Amino acid sequence: MKNKIVNTVVLILVFWFSGCTNKSTITPYVPTPYEIEIPFGFPTILNIPADNPMTVEGVELGRYLFYDGRFSGRTHPDSLMSCATCHRQERSFEAGVDHPGFPGGFPHGITGIPTPHAMLPMINLVWNTTGYGWNGLLYPTNPDPDARNIEDFVRMAALAPHEVNGDTTRIKNLFQTIPGYPELFEKAFGSKTITFTNIGKAIAQFARTLISANSKFDQYMHGEVQLSQPELNGYMLFTTEDGGDCFHCHGGFGNPLFTTHLFYNNGKDTVFNDIRDRFVITGDPMDHGAYKATTLRNIEVTGPYMHDGRFTTIEEVIDFYSTGVLSSPSISPLMHHVNNGGIRLTPQEKADLLSFIRTLRDDEFMTNPKFGKPEKFPDE
Amino acid sequence: MDKLFRQPIQLLYFIAFAGVFAFTGCGSKTNNPEPTTGKLTLHFSHKIDSEPIVFDDMRYVNAAGNHYLVNEIQYFISDVTLYHSNGTSLLLDQWEDIHYVDTDLPETQDYIFKDEIPQGTYDSISFTFGISEEKNHSLMFVNPPESFMFWPENLGGGYHYLKLNGKWLNELDQAAPFNFHLGIGQIYFSYPDSVSSFVQNYFRVILPASAFNLAVGETKSVEVIMNVENWFQSPNIYNHNTHGGDIMQKQHVMALAVENGWNVFTANTMTYK
Repeated sequence: MKNKIVNTVVLILVFWFSGCTNKSTITPYVPTPYEIEIPFGFPTILNIPADNPMTVEGVELGRYLFYDGRFSGRTHPDSLMSCATCHRQERSFEAGVDHPGFPGGFPHGITGIPTPHAMLPMINLVWNTTGYGWNGLLYPTNPDPDARNIEDFVRMAALAPHEVNGDTTRIKNLFQTIPGYPELFEKAFGSKTITFTNIGKAIAQFARTLISANSKFDQYMHGEVQLSQPELNGYMLFTTEDGGDCFHCHGGFGNPLFTTHLFYNNGKDTVFNDIRDRFVITGDPMDHGAYKATTLRNIEVTGPYMHDGRFTTIEEVIDFYSTGVLSSPSISPLMHHVNNGGIRLTPQEKADLLSFIRTLRDDEFMTNPKFGKPEKFPDE
Repeated sequence: MDKLFRQPIQLLYFIAFAGVFAFTGCGSKTNNPEPTTGKLTLHFSHKIDSEPIVFDDMRYVNAAGNHYLVNEIQYFISDVTLYHSNGTSLLLDQWEDIHYVDTDLPETQDYIFKDEIPQGTYDSISFTFGISEEKNHSLMFVNPPESFMFWPENLGGGYHYLKLNGKWLNELDQAAPFNFHLGIGQIYFSYPDSVSSFVQNYFRVILPASAFNLAVGETKSVEVIMNVENWFQSPNIYNHNTHGGDIMQKQHVMALAVENGWNVFTANTMTYK
């Protein structure tokens, strides 16, 4: 009798689990969560939209798409354009003044139309919670659901005449025909049917992995290296009000992002007619001529500088902050040296400040293969 | 029905009864005593001459005669303590009690305490303006906006207690920015490179006329008002033309600001929810 009972229970369990199995004939979509490692001192709050969680498969796909020139939706060799056409790893994912196709580091679209602003840093974006773009036009609480995050930037770049000048339907249809991509989309998003929404999500996931946090200054923060005396002198200037007073907008030890991601009029102009400044977003008169304070990480290689790329070198930027600052009603109160024209650095102080800024260069990031172009694309 | 078949049934009965007893026992232990506490919220507002601040408007005149505007105010308060009429005091929320206030971020302007507060009559409220030396450590806040308040290591580290940013009309009638910032001060052996010691500039504020009664189950809201003009007038008349646009490296000026800060805050009428 005991055996009968045991057999009955086993049979019930077998039927039970067989029933479950029969209900599901499709391989379950189980992507692997991608954990972002938080570098020392960095924020723990990440800007990752709830409908696009980070996955290993999504990041891998995003890397292919980021570098694949067929993102233009075209296949002719003269018509290829990818994110990496402008965003070069060796220039911290900006064009850089030495870009072979964009003289001076001023990109233009596939049809030759110049982009209206200079490029912004494309690193440590996962910690930007105040808005993407020079004026922060994409922000998480934007009433416009199509203008909130990096995913939306991908779509805007695909469509903009001064960038890819593409067509999202054509782009997703092209990738649908390329062997290997549908399978990668299935792994990342559970379906071989490619949508432009998922293209945007994958590229945004890859973009969120572009974390630069291993500069000489980071190693100094960890106690691993010592800064030279000129670098320390520059650090002192960077972090003192009587010196350069850079830290209030650009961070430092207590804010190792080296930006607040906030928007300031830093005294470049006295007349404001740019239709892409912060005022356009907020309507606040104090935001005339205000733009995002960029991170200074890797700034040495990411010229040209300022929203319009008016400065080619860091030295020119330091000269501007030293003697070229202009007063206007909307200048940020943090520019408290304005009535002296700037911070009035001596040549030695300028050299020291530059020495410190160079400690923010992260060569390991700019050569890390996991951020670089894949050895081959899915159809190769 | 044989013996082998009965045994599992008995086991099931045993488990069922044991479960019933267990849950009954839990239920008898969770009889809540009568509540004896309420809740407290501080709401921060910012005024000049008894009126809410109109930001970015050069409409104000301080005690020194400087015309000025205010652009933004950001600060920490901590160690909020209630003084009960029975002579006891209550430090609220212990180590979690450092609160950031930002005039640009409305969500920071209400400080809702986690602690349940015993009912009764409280004579006054006090708090630390800034952060005490014991708690003011660098990288304590890694997330914005608090992290943006960091105070550089070479100036003492930790965090700004206060950023009060604005502009005044200087002697040349130019709009000149001022950064009225408070934090750890420095005594220099050789300015600006060699600091011989640091000065903790945080201070206690005892809110005048802040007595209140708290009934059981009640949430009491107290308005804490920063009267900005007092930073510049009492007991020290503060002249921007004298002290300039920045004071983080001027301990003698921050000391004046600290003395004025004792009188900056008042409490207003309690509101009941």
